[in-house]
Amino acid sequence: MKKITVAFLLLGAWMTNAQDVQEVTKRDSVKTTSIDSLKEVMNNHSAKFDGYDERLSEIGGILDKLSKIKISGYIQAQYEMYDFWSADGQNHGVNVGTATAPDYVTNSFFIRRARVKFTYEALDGVKFVLCPNFDIDRVTIKDAYVVLNDRWTNTYSLWVGQFNRPTYEIEYSSASREFAERSLMTRTLYPTERELGAKLEADFNTKYNFPLKLQLAVLNGNFGEGAASNQVKDVDNGKDFMARATYAVKMAEQGLGIDFGAHTYLGNTTVISQTIPPAEFSDVNNSKFTPVVGDKFKKELFGGEMQVYYDFLGGMSLKSEYIRGTYSGTTNAAQVNSLFNANKVRNVEGYYISLVKNVGSKHVASARYDVFDPNTKLSGDDVTTRDDLKYNTWTFAWQYYFDENVKIMACYNMPINEKSANAGADYKTDKRDNTFTLRLQASF
Amino acid sequence: MKATKLKIAAVLAVVMMTGFSFTTVEKITVKGSDTMVILAQRWAELYMKKNPGTTIQVTGGGSGVGIAALINGSTDIANASRPMKASEIQKLKARYGTLGVEIPCAKDGISIYLNKANGVSELTVKEIGQIYSGKITNWKQVGGVDAPIKLYGRESSSGTFVFFKDNVVKTDFSPACQTLPGTAAIVNAVKKDKYGIGYGGAAYAEGVKDCKVKKDDKSPAYLPTAETIKNKTYPISRYLYMYLKNRPTGAMKAYIDWILSPEGQKIITEVGYFPVK
Repeated sequence: MKKITVAFLLLGAWMTNAQDVQEVTKRDSVKTTSIDSLKEVMNNHSAKFDGYDERLSEIGGILDKLSKIKISGYIQAQYEMYDFWSADGQNHGVNVGTATAPDYVTNSFFIRRARVKFTYEALDGVKFVLCPNFDIDRVTIKDAYVVLNDRWTNTYSLWVGQFNRPTYEIEYSSASREFAERSLMTRTLYPTERELGAKLEADFNTKYNFPLKLQLAVLNGNFGEGAASNQVKDVDNGKDFMARATYAVKMAEQGLGIDFGAHTYLGNTTVISQTIPPAEFSDVNNSKFTPVVGDKFKKELFGGEMQVYYDFLGGMSLKSEYIRGTYSGTTNAAQVNSLFNANKVRNVEGYYISLVKNVGSKHVASARYDVFDPNTKLSGDDVTTRDDLKYNTWTFAWQYYFDENVKIMACYNMPINEKSANAGADYKTDKRDNTFTLRLQASF
Repeated sequence: MKATKLKIAAVLAVVMMTGFSFTTVEKITVKGSDTMVILAQRWAELYMKKNPGTTIQVTGGGSGVGIAALINGSTDIANASRPMKASEIQKLKARYGTLGVEIPCAKDGISIYLNKANGVSELTVKEIGQIYSGKITNWKQVGGVDAPIKLYGRESSSGTFVFFKDNVVKTDFSPACQTLPGTAAIVNAVKKDKYGIGYGGAAYAEGVKDCKVKKDDKSPAYLPTAETIKNKTYPISRYLYMYLKNRPTGAMKAYIDWILSPEGQKIITEVGYFPVK
């Protein structure tokens, strides 16, 4: 009996063991299957990751190329009120019609700027810039130039195309400016701000930490206004020359920075055609003469500039430029300067002083006094045309930075003209010609 | 009568402008260099504990992003692992009429991270530059195994990127360089990639090995350590900066003064950088 019991126990133990072994084997087989399927899943995922890597690397390549294109721009939409009156009190506002069929408006909405600037840095040291300006009735090209930077010293750069003329007020972007418009001096002497040509810049700050900047430019010298077809190429073969040097002094301890510099413009206005009968010009002494085709009249300007920045109660700046020299204009339709639109050569002089003060972190108050005399040889009643009248202009502005992209500007412009009994009825006293501008600017 | 009114208006305008000019800041925002994020966060945490009335908010994004935020007014302090560029100072002048205030607050070495399995352990600055510009593409060209070099780097908004480009690469980065959003991501990538190479702040080198760097062929190789960075024998070292729009006043001044105090400078060492004082 004992033997039978032992035999049963042994059989039971064997069966249990066999069952365990079977279970282990079964489990092992399940494990093997799981590991295999896991491996398969892993391999699949690995292959997928490799695929994603490849795609990411492709996308990365495309993104790298796209990141070399930078797009910026701004829109200035504004409402203007014109406190313009004729001397007899009959006409109120600015004439938006013609001289023969005038149409006066006293206020208007106006899109002053709508620009998008594309900058493409193809590779280190080469930059392409294209900036169209959108007007209600047309699209024009403002900036279109190539910049080649020297990659060895990081000091020199060559600009070719249409770019800003090198003066402080012109190069200071309209989007940053604290006033609605540039000074009358700059608007008259450097109309449209830009010119076609080539410019060599040397900035010794980048490599040598020496804050000197030199700019030399050769320009077509067209005024940049009038029919677009006259801006495509030079109209007189003669090239104008421009040079500017600036130096910056920094007194970090005092929170003071002083930038100063000088510039010159050396060029000519050429008589490219004559009318029948020949048009008369007047010289710097206001004497009449009749030029012939090919005659050249001076555009020679010499200027100085200074900007002072002071970390005082939130920051303030005092900026000034002075320009004097001889300037010439013509009524030829291919050489239009709308603010110097006469057959004449004149000694001119002008300057501006502006004070800009930050008020807290979002407000900026500014005031500017600018003077421009388009004929330094005549004054008072000796002035016989309004184009020769000297102007002293006060401009006051307040800016509010709504956020990093949007700012609101209120600006009041008060030109005070030189009084002359012989320059038209409007100018016997100070003509009422003030403008209030409320501007909303969005930039990106 | 008219003149009196004008005088009163002028006086009022001056009083208002002066009054508004005094801005009191109790909440300080800090933005910029990813290299400095850990350090800036530690400073902020400890300072806020000691000064419960002051709130300091710290974010990264890169030195360029921080400086852009300073210029557009969305941050009070920009952290930067490179000096401000002349073009950025011009923008600050245009917007605020100031040159900005530069505060060097710490020193850092840029480590060259290698995978621990990589046989290469030292490189010259020139070799590192050639590796990142794509002129050297295989580890065997610098004494390693025959395997392609995998490059990891930062985005162009990073101050480390700019500093490394200006001082080491000195030309365009190779298109094969994979840009990653932060030094930690670079360290992580090199940790996983046997043939990877990366660069970034010395404080981040965990799980990777620092490569010894030689100024040139004839110079000895140095690891980025406290001593070599302080005595400038490690060739790729730099200052870390804080930039402000104006000279600090009030809570901001107190915070900056504390950072430059022995207590603030002590934290720099704890985080893995090196004090300026």
